[in-house]
Amino acid sequence: MAPDNDDNDFLTGRVPEPDAEPTAAERAHAKTFADLIDKTLSGHTPPAMSTDDRTLLEVATVIRAASGNALLDAAKQRSLVEDALRQAIGGAGSSAATTGSVVPITRSRARRWAPWAVAATSTLVAAAVLILWVRTPPRIVTHTVPAAQNLPETWKSRPADALIGPITKEHAGDASARIDTIFADRLDGYRELRLRGRKP
Amino acid sequence: MASEPATAVELEEEQRLVEEAQAGNLDAMRPILERYAQPLYGTVILPRLGDSASAEEVLRDTLATAVEKIRRFTWQGKSIYPWLRQIAINKVYDVHRQSKRSRRLADAMVHELATETDPTSHADAMLIADQERRAHRERIDGAMDLLAERYRLAIELRLIQELSREDCAKRMNVTIGTFDVLLFRAVRAFRKQFGERAGEPTHGA
Repeated sequence: MAPDNDDNDFLTGRVPEPDAEPTAAERAHAKTFADLIDKTLSGHTPPAMSTDDRTLLEVATVIRAASGNALLDAAKQRSLVEDALRQAIGGAGSSAATTGSVVPITRSRARRWAPWAVAATSTLVAAAVLILWVRTPPRIVTHTVPAAQNLPETWKSRPADALIGPITKEHAGDASARIDTIFADRLDGYRELRLRGRKP
Repeated sequence: MASEPATAVELEEEQRLVEEAQAGNLDAMRPILERYAQPLYGTVILPRLGDSASAEEVLRDTLATAVEKIRRFTWQGKSIYPWLRQIAINKVYDVHRQSKRSRRLADAMVHELATETDPTSHADAMLIADQERRAHRERIDGAMDLLAERYRLAIELRLIQELSREDCAKRMNVTIGTFDVLLFRAVRAFRKQFGERAGEPTHGA
């Protein structure tokens, strides 16, 4: 028999007759679905599956539920009832479930709002801090005289041209003499500072 | 449990618990929730959702809403179950509205809900649950009747009798691989028939 199936369109495609030869893709999909059914029947439905598989599994579950086969186990039922009571009462915590102490709804509503109030306050404080941080600080314009202007000439970096003067061609090779002159001049300034008890 | 009607004593006890809860002792709701969690799950929520994880969430929300709104409930000499059932159905519709995942199934259920009997006309919760279960089963059987014989048998053996794949294959004289294909096709065919019975057009069926 020829394959009679839409390989990639299992949800909307035509369903083949029971004796139609399956394609390899259909066999593979059928095997996946069979494994899903196995897991579901043993109460371990995997959380992740393809949309097609989920849709078909829902159909299978509806059939089972209508036949009275999909029951809630006792432990799960107890846990859902406790969760529901906690949810309704508003975060009374597991202690309430075990001790049986139930908080009235009015108080529970206040409790339910508490985390939101804390979150809102925290957000406001964070926003305020952010605004303060981002805001440009006011510019303070001050007219100050640069400190270098008040210093004596000998304290400052200065050209040596005035000290050496123009270098004639015949004295061009006396560089060491010129360096000595400059060094002596700078040393004078340093000694003057040191003897006055100041630091350069 | 579900097939046994509530006695007058049980109804009296239920009324006492409801009144106690309405007076502020919400813990009094616990026995009521424990009594009706299973019928709500098995006959109201799961058959309309088809997904056990979502059904459990809806059940929890239903029970929580019942506790929160117990003061609004008026005792009329009947069980609280129809009131709980209505809350559950509203929650199921909310889920379907939010998700188009099971649109076809939801539409089928919504369409057929109109033909259901009025649950408030019954005093007993378990009778309502039983009646609802029978109604679901009739709808399932109606769609099954339109399937090819081998598809019907595959669904019957695997999903209703819950036999193992090996046993199902043996009963149908096929290999396990072939049975897997038959069940896969059977569920697809059922889905199409179920949608068509609800009046929704299907593609290429």
